[in-house]
Amino acid sequence: MSEMRASSVTTSGTPQPTSVTGGSDREFNVKERSQLQQALRRFRRHRLAVASLVLLIFIVLLAFVGPLVWKYQYTDITPDNSQPPSLAHPFGTDSLGHDGFAQVLRGLQQSIKVALCIALVATTLGVVWGGISGYYRGLADSVLMRLADLILTIPAIALAAALGSTSGGAWWMIALILGGLSAPLVARAVRGVVLSLREQEFIEAARALGASDSRIILRHLVPNALAVVIVYATLLVAAGILAETALSYVGFGVQAPDTSLGLLITAAQSAVQTRPWLFYFPGLFIILIALTVNFIGDGLRDALDPRQTRQRR
Amino acid sequence: MRTAKRLAGAVAAAGVSLAVVAACGGGGSSDSGKTVSTSFADCATKPNDCNGGATKQGGTLTYAVEKKITGWNLNDAETNTADYVPVMTGITPQAFVVEPDFSVRLNDDLLDSAEQTSTSPQTIVYKIKKEAVWDDGTPISADDFTYAFQTRNSKDCKDCSPASASGYNIIKSVTGSDNGKTVTVVFDSPFPDWKALFDNLQPAHIAKQHGDLATSFKWFNETVPTFSGGPYKISDYQKDVSVTEVPNPKWYGKTKPKLDKLVFRIITDQSQEVPALQNNEVQVIYPQPDQDMVNQVKALAPNVQYSLGTGLTWEHFDLNLKNKFLADKPLRQAIFTALNRQEVIAKTIGQFVPGAKPLNNHNFKPSQDGYKDVVTSTGAGSGDVEKAKKVLTDAGYKGVGTALATPAGEPISLRVTYTASNPLRKATAELFQKQMQAIGLKIDVTPTQTLGPTLTKGDYDVILFAWIGQPFALQGAEQLWGSASDSNYGKWVNPKSDDLLKQATAQVDPKKATDLLNQANQVMADDYYVLPLFQKPTFLAAYSQFANIRDNATTSSPGYNNQEWGLRASAK
Amino acid sequence: MLAYVIRRIFVSIPILIGSTILVFIMVKFSGDPLEPLKMRNPPAPRQTILNEEHRLGLDQPIHVQYLNWLKNLVLHGDFGPSVHSNTNIGHELGGRLVVSLRLVLISVLIALIFAVITGVVSAVKQYSATDYTFTFTGFLFLAMPTFWFAILLKSAAISYNQAIGTQTFFTIGDKSPFLTDDSAWGHVKDIAGHMILPTIVLGLVSYAAWSRFQRASMLEVLNSDYVRLARAKGLRPRRVLVRHALRTALIPLTTVTALDIAALLGSTIITERVFQWHGLGEFFLDSVGDHDANAMLGWLLISALIVILFNLVADLLYGVLDPRIRYE
Repeated sequence: MSEMRASSVTTSGTPQPTSVTGGSDREFNVKERSQLQQALRRFRRHRLAVASLVLLIFIVLLAFVGPLVWKYQYTDITPDNSQPPSLAHPFGTDSLGHDGFAQVLRGLQQSIKVALCIALVATTLGVVWGGISGYYRGLADSVLMRLADLILTIPAIALAAALGSTSGGAWWMIALILGGLSAPLVARAVRGVVLSLREQEFIEAARALGASDSRIILRHLVPNALAVVIVYATLLVAAGILAETALSYVGFGVQAPDTSLGLLITAAQSAVQTRPWLFYFPGLFIILIALTVNFIGDGLRDALDPRQTRQRR
Repeated sequence: MRTAKRLAGAVAAAGVSLAVVAACGGGGSSDSGKTVSTSFADCATKPNDCNGGATKQGGTLTYAVEKKITGWNLNDAETNTADYVPVMTGITPQAFVVEPDFSVRLNDDLLDSAEQTSTSPQTIVYKIKKEAVWDDGTPISADDFTYAFQTRNSKDCKDCSPASASGYNIIKSVTGSDNGKTVTVVFDSPFPDWKALFDNLQPAHIAKQHGDLATSFKWFNETVPTFSGGPYKISDYQKDVSVTEVPNPKWYGKTKPKLDKLVFRIITDQSQEVPALQNNEVQVIYPQPDQDMVNQVKALAPNVQYSLGTGLTWEHFDLNLKNKFLADKPLRQAIFTALNRQEVIAKTIGQFVPGAKPLNNHNFKPSQDGYKDVVTSTGAGSGDVEKAKKVLTDAGYKGVGTALATPAGEPISLRVTYTASNPLRKATAELFQKQMQAIGLKIDVTPTQTLGPTLTKGDYDVILFAWIGQPFALQGAEQLWGSASDSNYGKWVNPKSDDLLKQATAQVDPKKATDLLNQANQVMADDYYVLPLFQKPTFLAAYSQFANIRDNATTSSPGYNNQEWGLRASAK
Repeated sequence: MLAYVIRRIFVSIPILIGSTILVFIMVKFSGDPLEPLKMRNPPAPRQTILNEEHRLGLDQPIHVQYLNWLKNLVLHGDFGPSVHSNTNIGHELGGRLVVSLRLVLISVLIALIFAVITGVVSAVKQYSATDYTFTFTGFLFLAMPTFWFAILLKSAAISYNQAIGTQTFFTIGDKSPFLTDDSAWGHVKDIAGHMILPTIVLGLVSYAAWSRFQRASMLEVLNSDYVRLARAKGLRPRRVLVRHALRTALIPLTTVTALDIAALLGSTIITERVFQWHGLGEFFLDSVGDHDANAMLGWLLISALIVILFNLVADLLYGVLDPRIRYE
């Protein structure tokens, strides 16, 4: 959770009005591009991000399809104890004879589930939280933002550990806790965007045309805040994986018999010198996920926030 | 790993308490000691003398302890923890010392003799050595014995919270004579375990300066001791970091400590102990071993040597007889028969403890005289799947080997519970699950965060935990398997066993008592209630240039002879 | 400005009280602190348990417990009894605060220095090999689990010691319990040897985040009109870089640094555990494990105060560094 910090997100972003193009009688024959298409184009130009995306998709597929086709289940106990990597066991085995690859796949699957849930919970909650706060302002805003302050005052990993110690270690509990604790970060950012947006002319225009609150929020505010939210969501996935790992280390994360990448490296912490394969492989996957997700986030930020493209030619 | 240790301490260790030590352990090293063993290699055969050798003056030894020190009075319930014993054993003298082979020896530095002079009423006469003094020059005397008696019998001092009153509560009187150097203790009723008493003597004259019994008892717990009646005294305490001890200049014993300093370094995370040893920040560690620890330490040879011992702690499977399925004996028999202990060992401790064997008695360890195999004849732990299936089929069970159901057709599934974050038990539970597939029994592996409540509430079907065995087995047996006992968590009730246990505790002749105990044990084994797995290994690693450090799994801890520790005379 | 500071401090009081209530309730429901005592075998005397319950105030309704705690804190500066009767929470926290803050501040300082240097170099030489290297290592550090890296680092340091045959690095604690070389230099060496590994571990993530941040803000400034103007005026590039660009680009970093203190305090939990430091992080883990409500609250207050203080400092610094901002 320590890694879940505001500074990694530099998106402040002058919001762009949603495209109100669409006239049919044009003089030039230029292909119309929606904002999404433009963003995609810009993202595609960010080669590292694209490569990361491909790798990440591969990892996710591995996590969810791999266990179905791999010859061992993560619960299988094979006769090979503490074997170094070989053809039969590409990631070696532990002392009980669990196949390392099957274990890593399972851990990967659980960790990805945890991370995605964290991102989902945090962004959903954060958008509603920040949206209400920024749009209605006044008392609601004060109360909600003080609550956010309150949560952010306490080191998140500490809160998560305290909550996690009572949760029994189910993966979804951990995800809910971490997601909930990250929501204030998103809320703050969304509120900022909404605050600046609601004063803009195109919102005023919409309001003058008699648009309802919900229409303004859904049609104008949300799409514009989307850029910020998407970037946050990706960063939260990376932060989530790391947070789960940290929690596992202090003993308040996912609990056995379930497993996660964090639990796997925690269990193998004294094996660095003697059975390194137990320590390195799960660690490697954590790094791969966090790294690719961060690169993707970086690419998305550039793509969604055209201000930055000035720097990148 | 940390949690596991703490829980074991809370439930099992406390059951023994520091007080109960051997009386009829014994045997072992009678004729050893002729040739001096200078390495740990001989610890299996000469547990009391291995790694010996002449020492020379000087040097500092740092010993890793695993718990922060929260109190200094080992007799206090809050402080009574095995981890503190090595720290305090050089400060507070004890009447008897338990040797590594579980035998009991008179502390002949402190006492000239301690003898039973009468059996009715049981009377013990202790003769304290003339030269035995506290480090301020005050003689160690009957007053100190009286202080121990009064603070620990839970009658004279209601506000004291002694770890255990066992023994002290049936002492009728403690009388001093011969200028306080002779102590006569008279019991109300016989207490065969009397050598366990007076184990951490505290200076009564200092207690007097700090209020009444309760206040001074508390003061001892709160205050870093500056007094000493042992070979060392505390020269420095850095909270949560270390305790430094230096030789006590007034030490009256025959072996004077040769070390300049004995430092106890607090390392609360077991997995950080081996790195600290590798980096020579500590020279002795005594953690709960695993494969990686052992292999890492092995790689440090010849600078560091280690000994793997079999301790008093033993792991076992317990069945809960309150479970409606497990109330039926054939099912219990089938489960235990299908359970393959050899495979469990091979997959766990067998990978780093050469020659680890299943334990076949619930009360005695193989190194003890009373040890008798009561398990093998019952077929439990053999992994004989065919026999297990036959037992079930004969009893009318359905779905044997596929999906087990009662004779009435109700599908059976059971939970196996183990202490969360204990890797050894996790592995064992998973193996159990796998082995039970052979008879078609479905097992859910469920960790528990809080072993204590799980046990007392009986919230388990099959559970895996450990008891710390006692060298003296009689009381333990009644505590664990007596039908009236709170610690009989699985609620096994057997009048025949109760009767045999009662006879055993009333028996004066230790040989007959042991025999009766084993008979009672056989009754239990035949009824498939608790299956012992193995003795948990102990692991002591120390730098080779230090002599006379050796494993002692008993309540006396490896610190039992710390005045002998020192730099090898041959070390440079 | 003083008025501003005072107002800020007043605003944080309700936040502090709110968070203590939150945590108090959480700890109360997390488990029974007397469980180890109650689970003893042979059982602890009933009277002992009652005494303990009374000492900890557990015999009272939960809201009374909280109010008592608050009253004692405000009136007597007393953090209340700990589950361990020999522990005075206030003293304990004081000592540990020094240990943790020393670690955090030194890490922050070192991380900042490196972050600014690499951030500026990266921005100036944008898209050069150096930039890519810094960027990639930055991202890599951000992606590494803290304790995984800590264990690797520890292992490497031990190998180094063994290879060289000296004890340059220490793996446990913040200093040796005793020193053979009692000179001033010996002490410095000892403290540095204990400090270096945890400092690297704790500072690494901050360094990575801050260097990325510094690069971005430097780029923004370098692309701004006034820097272009300064260049156009013919000022020497070095002067433009340091006097005009860097000064401005440092402003956002100060804020971010102060805001990250909360996360850093969280990180100490991991770092202190691996290196066996007895700071706030360890105190926290112990309190959670013991269900020690008062200890947790004490810890919470201290860390929340630190966070609030640093947030305030960030705001004030912003005003000092950026003349456009005024606090009324």
